[in-house]
Parts: sequence; C-alpha cells; structure tokens
Amino acid sequence: MFTFLLTDIFFYIIFFSLIIYINYVRKTPDIRETWSYVFKNKTGIISAVVLSFFMLTALLDSIHIKDKIYNEDRNEYVYSQEINSILDIILLPISKNTEKSYSSPFSSHLYSKETVKSYNDKEKRIYPKLLHKGNHNKYLDDNIKNIFFTSLLSILKSFILVFFIYILIFREDVFKNKFIFSPLKRNSVLFSSLLIMLSIILILYDLGTQYYVLGTDKVGEDVLYKSIKSIRTGILIGTLTTIVMLPFAVFLGIFAGYIGGYVDDIIQYIYTTLNSIPSVLLIASAILMLQVYMSNNPLEFENIYERADLRLFFLCMILGLTSWTGLCRLLRGESMKLREVEYVQASQTFGLKKMSIIVRHIIPNIMHIVIITVVLDFSALVLAEAVLSYVNIGVDPTTYSWGNMINAARLEMSREPIVWWSLFSAFLFMFALVLFANLFSDVVREAFDPKASKNYE
Amino acid sequence: MNNLLTIKNLYLKIKSNQNEEILKNISFNIQESEVVSLIGESGSGKSLTALSIIRLLEKSCKIVSGEIVFQNEDLLRIEEKEMRKIRKKDISMIFQEPMRSLNPVMNIRDQLKESYENKKKDDVDREIIKNLISVGIEDASRVINLYPHQLSGGMKQRVMIAMAIACKPKLLIADEPTTSLDVTIQKQVLDLLLELKDKLNMAILFITHDLAVASQISDRIVVMKNGSIVENNDRSSFFQKPKDKYSKSLLESSSYNRKFKKKFSSKEEDILNVRNLKVYYKENNSLFTKKQSFIKAVDDISFSIKPGSIHSIVGESGSGKTTIAKAIMGLTHITSGHIKILNKDIINISDPSKRNLRKFYQMIFQDPFSSLNPRMRVGNIIREGLCFLKPELSSSEINNKVLEVINNVGLNKNTLNKYPHEFSGGQRQRIAIARVLVLEPKLLVCDEPTSSLDVTVQKQVLDLLMDIQNRIQISYLFISHDIKLISNISDTISVMHKGKMVESGNTFDIINNAKNEYTRNLLKSAPQIRY
Repeated sequence: MFTFLLTDIFFYIIFFSLIIYINYVRKTPDIRETWSYVFKNKTGIISAVVLSFFMLTALLDSIHIKDKIYNEDRNEYVYSQEINSILDIILLPISKNTEKSYSSPFSSHLYSKETVKSYNDKEKRIYPKLLHKGNHNKYLDDNIKNIFFTSLLSILKSFILVFFIYILIFREDVFKNKFIFSPLKRNSVLFSSLLIMLSIILILYDLGTQYYVLGTDKVGEDVLYKSIKSIRTGILIGTLTTIVMLPFAVFLGIFAGYIGGYVDDIIQYIYTTLNSIPSVLLIASAILMLQVYMSNNPLEFENIYERADLRLFFLCMILGLTSWTGLCRLLRGESMKLREVEYVQASQTFGLKKMSIIVRHIIPNIMHIVIITVVLDFSALVLAEAVLSYVNIGVDPTTYSWGNMINAARLEMSREPIVWWSLFSAFLFMFALVLFANLFSDVVREAFDPKASKNYE
Repeated sequence: MNNLLTIKNLYLKIKSNQNEEILKNISFNIQESEVVSLIGESGSGKSLTALSIIRLLEKSCKIVSGEIVFQNEDLLRIEEKEMRKIRKKDISMIFQEPMRSLNPVMNIRDQLKESYENKKKDDVDREIIKNLISVGIEDASRVINLYPHQLSGGMKQRVMIAMAIACKPKLLIADEPTTSLDVTIQKQVLDLLLELKDKLNMAILFITHDLAVASQISDRIVVMKNGSIVENNDRSSFFQKPKDKYSKSLLESSSYNRKFKKKFSSKEEDILNVRNLKVYYKENNSLFTKKQSFIKAVDDISFSIKPGSIHSIVGESGSGKTTIAKAIMGLTHITSGHIKILNKDIINISDPSKRNLRKFYQMIFQDPFSSLNPRMRVGNIIREGLCFLKPELSSSEINNKVLEVINNVGLNKNTLNKYPHEFSGGQRQRIAIARVLVLEPKLLVCDEPTSSLDVTVQKQVLDLLMDIQNRIQISYLFISHDIKLISNISDTISVMHKGKMVESGNTFDIINNAKNEYTRNLLKSAPQIRY
C-alpha cells in the first residue's frame, strides 16, 4: 500500500508544478524560444540530463510503500512498520546484505584485522573475507584481476543493453515509433548524454551487486547505497528551503525597495532583528522544541520514518526562515535602483498599478540575482546540513544524508589507517549535484538575459 | 613652430575582434602651444587615440602598427618606466567626468599631493595653494581641506585641471572636459584652459563632440569617423569651407532649425496650465529627526501651453526643470499648486478619471538606454500603454495601431520582435517616441530627448518630432539645457534658475532682449560657432 510522508507530498507538488510549467512553456512561443536556447546549448543539455537523473532518483525515493505481512498470532494481514520507497526496491540487490564493519572500495576483505579461530582452535589475527560481495569469483585468486574482469563484463553488459535501447529508439526501420522519440533524434547531444548517463548507471548497478563500489561504513552498510539515498535529502533541503525562503526574500525585498517609506522601515527592522540572532541558535531551539513535542506526543507518529521525516521538514522550514535576509537585502537595493530607472517611470506615466509594475518590470530585471543567489545558497544549504548534524540539530541520525556521512567522517578521518571513502562519496555526489546545478543555472540566466551573446556551445 | 607630437599611421585592434581595425591610419601633428580639437561622434575612436598617446589603453586593445613621436621619442617603443616619467612631466590628461575622476575619500590636498613628489610638506602646501589659485579657485587655503563631494562640478573640474597642470606639462589631453558641465561653467573652464595655455606655453589636444566648443578654443580641427580621420584643417577654413562631406553634415546638424511652424491661435483653451506649482522635498527623512527642512526643487512656477505650440523650459542642472516634468506626469508628489490638462485639474482627481486623462499627456525620457525595459520585446514595450490606457481596443486593433506607429517613426515591422539592446541610441529614442505616440496624446513632455545622442542623430530625432507635430495636432513641452536649440524650435520659453522661473515669454523676445540678468548670462555663455 502506498503511504505518504509529509515531504513526499511536497515533492509531488514540486513535480506537478514543474509539469504544469513545462506545459505552459510549450504553449507560450516567447518563453519556449528562450528555453529552447537552454536545450540547444551543450552545457545546458548535459547539466539538464544529469540534474534530471538526480531528480528522478529523488522522486523514486519519494514514493513509499508499506508491505502487507501475515501476522500468525492474529491470523490476519497487517501493514508492516517498515516503509520502503520504489528506489529501495530497485536497489535491493545492492543494499540487502551488510558486512560487519568497514571495507574499502572494491575490496574482498574487511578493512581491519580480527581474531578468528581456525580449524585447530588456534587464534589468528587476519583480515576476514567479506561475506556477501567481493568474493563471487572463485576462479581468480588475484583481486585486481578479478576486479578488472568483472568491470569489463559489466561494461560489456551495459553497452549491449544501451545499444539495444539505441536501436529501439533510433532505427525507425526496426520499430516504427516516430512520434515519441523525435526530439531525441533531432538533438544528438541530448541523446548521447542520455545514453552515457544510462550506461554509467547500468555499470554502477551491475558492479554494485558484486562489489562494494564505494566501500562500506562502520556498520557494514554499502556507502554507494547510502550516497544514493542521500540524494533525496539533499535535494529536499535545497529546494524546500529555497521555496520557503523565496517569497519572503523576493516580495519583502521588492516591497521594501520599490514602495519605500514606512514599509521599507518595517521590513528593514524585521530582517535586521532576525539577522542579529545567531541562526544556529534559532535552528537549535526550534529543533529542540520539536524534539520535546515529539517525545510528549509519541502516539501521533506511526513509526520512526514519520518522526525523521517531520524533523527533516521542520529543519527545511526553519532554515528557510533564517536564510532569506541576505537575498532580501540584495533585492531591496536592486529594486531601489530600478525604481528610479526611466522605463519604470515610463510605465508609471501609463498609470500602471504598483503590482503590475513589480510583476512586469521589476521581477524580470532582478531574476538574474535571484537565480545566482539561489544556486549558491543551494550548495551552502547542503553544507549547512552537515554543520547542523555536527551539533546534533540537523536531520535525524537515521535519515540518510550527506551531512550525516560527513559528520561520521569526522571520526573516520582521525582513525589509523583512515577511512576516506565516506567523505569522498558524500563529496562526489554533492559536488556533482552542485556543479551541474550551477552550470544549468548559468545557462538559464544567460537564456533569459537578452543582452547576453548567445553562443551555442 | 616645432612639432611637439606626431602621430603616424596608427592602427589599433581589439583583441577579441582581430579582423577589424578600431583605428585606421591615424596621422596628425600637434605643434607647440597649439590647440587641436579632435571631433567625432561616439564610437569614432577619439578617446582611443588620446589614450594611445598617453599609453593608458585597456589590455584588450592592441596597437598594430604606427608611431607616436613626442619630442623625438617614439612613445610606443619606450619602456613603461620611461613612459611613467613622461606622464609625470610632459603629458597630462583631464577626464570627462569630474565626479568620478576624483577619489571621494581623499581631500583635495592629498589628491594634489600625488603630483608633487620629494618636497617638504610646507612647500607642497604652498605649491598646491598657488596652483589652485592659478586655476581660479580663490579661497584655495580652505578648499584644500575639503573632500570632492563638497565641491560643485565646475570646482571639481578646476581641481582636475590643477592636478593636470601641476607638472607644467607640454601637452594636455582634455577628453570632453566640459561635456558634463553647465554652459556658464563650461565657458569659465574653456576660458581658463585658454588662459593656462598661454601662460604655460602648452599644447592642448581637446576631444569633443561639440563643434561650437571646438570652434571657441581650437587652432586646428581634426574630424574622426569610424576610426579614421576624414578631415584635418585650420579652424577658420574648416568652419567656412569644410572639405569633407561628413564634416559638412556635422556642421549642418550642429545648428537646428525648425522647418515648419504651425500657426496656433492664442484664443484657444490651454492644453496645459500650471499655476503656482511648488515641489518641496524633505531634506531629512528619518524616523528619529523631528525638525524638517525643505529643498525647494520647484518654487512657485506658472506657465501654460496652447494647443499645437511648443513651449520650452530651459535651465542649468539643478534648476528644477526635470522636477516640473515629473510633477506633471505624476512621478513626484506636489507640495501645492494646480496642474490643469485639457481644463481638468489632475492633482485632485480620482485615480480612474486620471487614468482616462493619461492618454492625452505622455513623456519622452532623456536616456533611451534606460527608458526601455531590456527584458521586454519592442512590440510589448509599445503595446504596454495601449493595453492599460485603452482597454476597449481589441488585440487586432492594437496590433494595427502598433504597426502604424512603428511605420510613422521610421522603423520597420520586424523591429517588434527584437530586444531594445539590438538598436542604436537614435533608434531606441524612436521606439520611445513610438511608445507614447501610439496613445495619440495631445501633449508630449520631452525631457532632454536629444541630449544623450550624437549630433547627427539628434537632428534626425528632432526632425521626427517636428514632422509629427506638422502632421497631427500636438503640443510639446520641451525641457533642455541647450538654449541655442530651444530658441530654434520653440514658440514660447521659460527660463528657470534654482527652482524659480526668472523669465517667461515669446521666444523672439527672450532671445533678442532678455530682461533678466541670468537669461542674458545663459545666452552669452551658450557656445556659438566662431567662424
């Protein structure tokens, strides 16, 4: 049975508004032309493809299912306390088994020595073999050779699969499906980047069932799985916080700058007050309040997932409420400048109302600032989550998140020999998300800037 | 006389565009204590030529070939160290914008001290004061302790000149030194430059777009167009018999004459009637101060405009002429007074009926680069007013009107799908005119509609405005600092000074026998071409 967590519902809302917007763009020729620039620009296409895979992962991770299990005592079917997302089900071959403790990427043994009893009751200190992955090929002793051949095989497998898909779509003489895939055929960069992404994912998936591609963590969980599961948390913190923060920043900033006078004074006093409270303390107090509430009302939550989810949701809200002041101040200054610009005055002489001037003239001309700030904030927010986890006021410790991984890496980096792969994986995934979000927003900003010289590279 | 500076076959390119030369085959001489004016429209390469001489070009520019010989030394081939010495001793430069060429956090003494090295503090102070007095700053001992924002524009330019002549240079490069100044101050600065030239025996390379100014000051005129020199001539022969076609067109456009004057009867009802208009601004608008003082931007102004006539308001910067335009258009609040348009008071009127009236009076702004929203297509810009002020029109009617008006201002219809930045200044001003003309107004307020344009483009825009007036019944309220231009186009004139109207009346009367001292001064200072 499907079950909906609070943040899931939010995710669906984002997704559907995205679809509605795309529909709107398709119907409006002006905006369609602007967006078509993004999809003619190489950087734009590639980053859009990568981002859409991130979004897809997060979306799959947001469709949650409760299993029905048979309760023998009561002789009936009941819903299990476990909640799984579609992504969990897809990744089950990777995540189902856990090891005892740390193991490095692609290794066949644990990372630290253990005392093992051998046949003749002698105690030996050895690196124990991994139980579930890394030792599947018994014919090759050498681990390096083993890795090499397994990887080669996965690459081959995935290429054959991708090639099959390619034929399916591209050669219309095989299958006559002209309509659905026609945009793909016209846009070779889009098509090839899609295929490359697809083959990377297939290779990783196949290898992931046979190796711990990014190693295991302290309790023996696959780090690759953890990193993939963290995508949803990262995107959620980035987008939900931004969506909470944007209306405050944009509207209060514009009202303060454009209307001025007492409105300006009041808004300025509000954000100065908010700025003067250290945001970490504000977040800490809010999270602690929530924890008190949760421990006083344990019956309101069916399971731990709901508790963790509420905490994540609350964290996004409070982060949003504390982070709008910087952008607000920027926009206030910019709209103050625009208020005096002649084209705004020209539309005042047409007798336009304040709101229509704001919508028609001010907002389009401050959008570049909003886009740049939002994307920069996006990466800052993902990092803020790590900082907050450090002082125990971030997301719930049971939630998969890059912040939690980085926080755990604190201890891993200080042990000898160091465990680097948790930090590395979190970094890798965060880096990819933030980098491609940056590149994409750059192209979008350029597309909406009529003055930019548009080079289609 | 000896050649002080010789430029020979100078070619310059921009690194990003290797195919096109920005400066092509520039060659001219400057003799000792000679004033050479470099004339051209924006983008013709005047400033680049000057910057090449003093070697302050941006990194993106590259001199391809040529030589610049200054006192037997090729400036393009010497070391930067040597060049610095020359800049310190022999060649100085003054820039266009005195507000931006002085460092706002340094006082005048510190700014000027940079020109004097290795001297004792007392000596330097005495030198600075002497220098400031020589550029006409009488209370120099007070001024050296002031900061740039405490000085007026003319004073700042004097300080700049003082800095430039501190080293007693042999050559002074002046890049549009008077463009941002009012005419009366412009005259003072020009007189000062000529006086200093004689006193210090220095040559001046004077860059300007204003032919009248050039004729006042220079011995020789060099005309540039699109990066090459089209004419190099004596002042008197240039202004009497220009050789080049382009020079002729420059000379023609520099004085504008209204071709057709419409007859208007003084019995008709006024289209605009302003009575006792006052606009005061609070000086200190803070929550915690109780005492309020006012700046009287417009103080008790009255005038009226007959249908079909052109009324002009002339005054220097800060005289409040733009504030009047803003007050009429409702862009600023009004302290007291009445503004009647078509006999309806637009100050004490409800918003809907004011919106009904708005289509009858519209405004053209000074700077066509900032008066069009860069993120809107031209079609939408022109359509905006129609959609809001004439909502009864159907979309096809609106489109027809837009097409008609775009034709009337001399643009073609694929303009509509482009963005403003794709057009030149003159074309943009046409778009701005189309935007208001489409509403079929009875009164157009033109706030310096040509002052940010090149002279030849200025003429085209004025021609367009006059042509429109000839075709339809429309009145203009022209606001300008240029009394020469105003006297040629308007029927009636008001002269403003410091928020007050000092004189008002028929153009002919005011130009020929002004009663007010200030008006006479303004007329006298306005640069005329000296043949």
